[in-house]
Amino acid sequence: MNQMGVADILAMAFMFALLILGAVLMHTYSLRPLRAATDRQLELKCEHIYKALETAWVEPYTISFLRAAAENLVLEHPTVPGQYLRSAMENALGYLSPQDYEISATLTHDGGTLIFNENIGPPSKQFVRSGAVTITGAGGENVVVQVVVRLFSFS
Amino acid sequence: MTLTQILKMLVACILVITFVLVTASAYRQHRTISALAELTDATSAIVTQLAVDELAHVDETGNKYSYVLDPNMLENLTFRREIGGENFEFQISLGYQVSENNIFGPALPENRTNCSLVVACLLWLNDRFQLAKLGVIAWHA
Repeated sequence: MNQMGVADILAMAFMFALLILGAVLMHTYSLRPLRAATDRQLELKCEHIYKALETAWVEPYTISFLRAAAENLVLEHPTVPGQYLRSAMENALGYLSPQDYEISATLTHDGGTLIFNENIGPPSKQFVRSGAVTITGAGGENVVVQVVVRLFSFS
Repeated sequence: MTLTQILKMLVACILVITFVLVTASAYRQHRTISALAELTDATSAIVTQLAVDELAHVDETGNKYSYVLDPNMLENLTFRREIGGENFEFQISLGYQVSENNIFGPALPENRTNCSLVVACLLWLNDRFQLAKLGVIAWHA
């Protein structure tokens, strides 16, 4: 009789443990659609940031931020001087960056790399938008520069 | 009935009640989360519609520039959308680097869940592409 009682109590304890585990899993799983929707919003923000940098002009020039950066990477005499571009780009990235987020832009061509806003701590999550900018090289040939814009989340 | 049997019955009842409560709570949370996710996606859809189509700048030759906003388009904009069979209302804020945000659309309702999204965009101002921010706050109509 005593042995039966212990077995029943063990079975009930196991069922309680199973119930609590199930509850935790159900609650955790139910948050997934909201996390996914929030991630989609952040991907959208990243896309908008890329398009803004691709189109917005560097004051007072009439050339976009990404094109100016690509020229700095490839050409000996770019339209926008390097130091001025870095300052303007970091201002722009600071303005576009959402609160608690950081943006960095990386341009690469033929082994050369140009990074804006590189001193960023380890993020909890990042969203990436890649693309390319084509400019005309010194010899008249088309040069394709790869661009990667990253949105880092720290929350 | 012995005391042991009564205790076992009591524990079994507690187990069943806990199971029902946990399931009901999980279902209620799932519905709340689904509604929030739907509102979040609707806000993203509204922002995309505005930036790519409805507020997009059109030049003299008829070319449309996605992500470049024309504030004049706000005059004819309706601040209500039907998305996925649900009606949403929204408010817009628009600002650029050297200006304060301007608010357009209906006032935010009290005690109503809303979702806000701010994205980078451009304005065609003074014959230049200027960096700007478009903000949308949406709620169920």
